[in-house]
Amino acid sequence: MSGTSIAGEATEETLPAMIVAAEKAGKARRRVNRGPRVPVWAIVVLTLSAVYFLLPLYATAVYGFSNGKHFTLQPLWDGLGDPGFQTSLRLSLFYSVLTTLLALAVVAPTAYMVELRFQRLRSTIEFLSILPFVIPPIILVVGLSSMYGIKSPVNLLASSWAPVLLMGGYFILTLPFTFRAIDNALRAVDVRTLTEASSSLGAGTIRTFMKVIVPSISLGLVSAALLAFTTAMGEFTLAALLGYPTFPVYLLNVNGWQPHMGEALVLVSFLITWAGVIALAAVARRTPGTQVVRGGPM
Amino acid sequence: MSRLELIGINKRFGDQIAVSDFSLTVEDGELVSFLGPSGCGKTTTLRMTAGFESPDSGAVIVDGVDVTDLPPNKRGMGMVFQGYALFPNMTAAENVEFGLAVRKRPAAERQTRVAELLDLFGLARVAESYPHQMSGGQQQRVALARAVAIQPGVLLLDEPLSAVDAKVREELRTEIRRMQVQLHITTILVTHDQSEALSISDRVVVMSRGAIEEVGTPTQIYAEPRSAFTAGFIGAMNEIPVRIVSGAGGVVERGGRRVTAPGAAGLVDGDLAMLLIRPELLEPLGSTGGSLNGDLTVTGRVEVQTFLGATTRLLLAELPANPDDRSVLPAARRLAVDVPSATAGRWPAGSELAVRIPVAASRVIADGTAIQPGGHA
Ligand SMILES: Nc1ncnc2c1ncn2[C@@H]1O[C@H](COP(=O)(O)OP(=O)(O)OP(=O)(O)O)[C@@H](O)[C@H]1O
Ligand SMILES: [Mg+2]
Repeated sequence: MSGTSIAGEATEETLPAMIVAAEKAGKARRRVNRGPRVPVWAIVVLTLSAVYFLLPLYATAVYGFSNGKHFTLQPLWDGLGDPGFQTSLRLSLFYSVLTTLLALAVVAPTAYMVELRFQRLRSTIEFLSILPFVIPPIILVVGLSSMYGIKSPVNLLASSWAPVLLMGGYFILTLPFTFRAIDNALRAVDVRTLTEASSSLGAGTIRTFMKVIVPSISLGLVSAALLAFTTAMGEFTLAALLGYPTFPVYLLNVNGWQPHMGEALVLVSFLITWAGVIALAAVARRTPGTQVVRGGPM
Repeated sequence: MSRLELIGINKRFGDQIAVSDFSLTVEDGELVSFLGPSGCGKTTTLRMTAGFESPDSGAVIVDGVDVTDLPPNKRGMGMVFQGYALFPNMTAAENVEFGLAVRKRPAAERQTRVAELLDLFGLARVAESYPHQMSGGQQQRVALARAVAIQPGVLLLDEPLSAVDAKVREELRTEIRRMQVQLHITTILVTHDQSEALSISDRVVVMSRGAIEEVGTPTQIYAEPRSAFTAGFIGAMNEIPVRIVSGAGGVVERGGRRVTAPGAAGLVDGDLAMLLIRPELLEPLGSTGGSLNGDLTVTGRVEVQTFLGATTRLLLAELPANPDDRSVLPAARRLAVDVPSATAGRWPAGSELAVRIPVAASRVIADGTAIQPGGHA
């Protein structure tokens, strides 16, 4: 297989891979002094979409950094100093990180075992993993609260198990992304042969998974982590209806009575998410062997 | 370092028989090749030996201990896979070290051992490279070094050279043999490249349709194949129809000539049989006729010349010496005759050529056992 081809278009869809690809393209451009001319329509499309995406951001910034009359950073300082902001953000981060860890810890071994031993179950698992696309969060939340809510005999909400309820919900919501990202990465490497090689060298299943499989699919794991994290950070329906004052819930409330401050905080949340994305992408880029996904002998 | 016994192994996948009644003993330090056409069960047999598949019946025994039910990671066998299966996230050195780390060897010992092995396989320069930064030949060597690092009792190689180019393949196979002899490792090499099997094995197992067709030293397999399958599979082989005149005396007849031929003894009088002879053993007699004591001749027209380097292969369509004969005995399909390239100019396409068949170097087998290799695959 040639070093330039990208095996498994699947990983390409995911964010870090896109970043890597963009970098490659950037390098290629630098190497060739005068590359092919960029067609006009490409510039037009790019400009239009840039406007479409950046305009709201700009509007948010203009509105957020203003007191109704002129430019000021006061709403931002107000927001950052607001105890509600801090607690809700902490709550969101808490749930997002835990959801991410849970997703990785559950989905990666599951997908590995499916790939290795239970190929027959693959279509079933795939179907289960996309259910959240079919069943909207609102249905999920109704189901969850009648099953584990205040009126249920298994009232998790009022118990110390309450965090588990939201995490479980988030876990389900992120499944379509996490399973796909990890499964694609697994399929891009020859899991069965690698496992057999490891096994012939004396390693058991757990060691093989941790030392051989996990590092080989690190890019997929990073994608999965990213997707799980951002999904959980931005989730509103579940949190609001189950009564968790997470950051998105807080933002909506604030927007009602302090709109300038709310908009300023929207920008903050935007930056936080992006910081996370970039940090994970940086991790992905430094992982050795990730290139193998596209250049190995298999 | 171990004696490996495979006893009466059977394996089916669904209703397809992959391996049937396979029994073989590989002696301590011996290199045995499994040779056969695609789908004949070589890989399946190897995988059962390694423990990746379990046989439906039969046993795998190492040094007298039954390991049939042991998982692969408890068998202490080294394996090299067709696609190398190097760990992509580890350098060459880390790949080689993996098995030692699993065995919890002290760090110092691991390092010396890894360095030794990288040296032995000429890999010192790429010790810190990742698999995707290495050439196919280098990756192959790492795979070998990794398998050998754990000092396996038995080394299993599944077409280890099929993914490298012809020149590297020849180099590496010699290297494998050198290493195998030096470390005295009991080894099974799966291949469908006959020259690979013949050049570096102590013994060759010819397989067909999941069963052992024949086991022998490379010389035996090449010079005295006991089955038509082996004969046809190993190298080019001419099949010339003859009639058994006397099974008791081992006498056959062709074109009115009667000769005593090896292998004819015991066949049924009057039956058709096949006389097998290699192209390089046929001798041109000149433009026509001529015959020699105890040998047969065939006359034909040269159809094609194929240049093979030192020799040139002439494809001969037989001209019936005697029209009556034809009704009795089918003509040889086409005869391949290898001549030194320097003299090949004497027999251009369209010319007539008579060749002597040195019967003593041939072998007669009953007709009907002749199977075209690969024809059933
Ligand atoms: N996992 C499997 N499931 C079903 N059938 C299988 C499986 N593995 C092998 N077979 C079948 O068993 C037979 C023997 O296969 P095997 O891989 O051992 O052949 P081989 O001699 O190694 O061939 P090749 O030279 O092509 O590698 C084949 O007909 C193959 O289709
Ligand atoms: Mg095979």
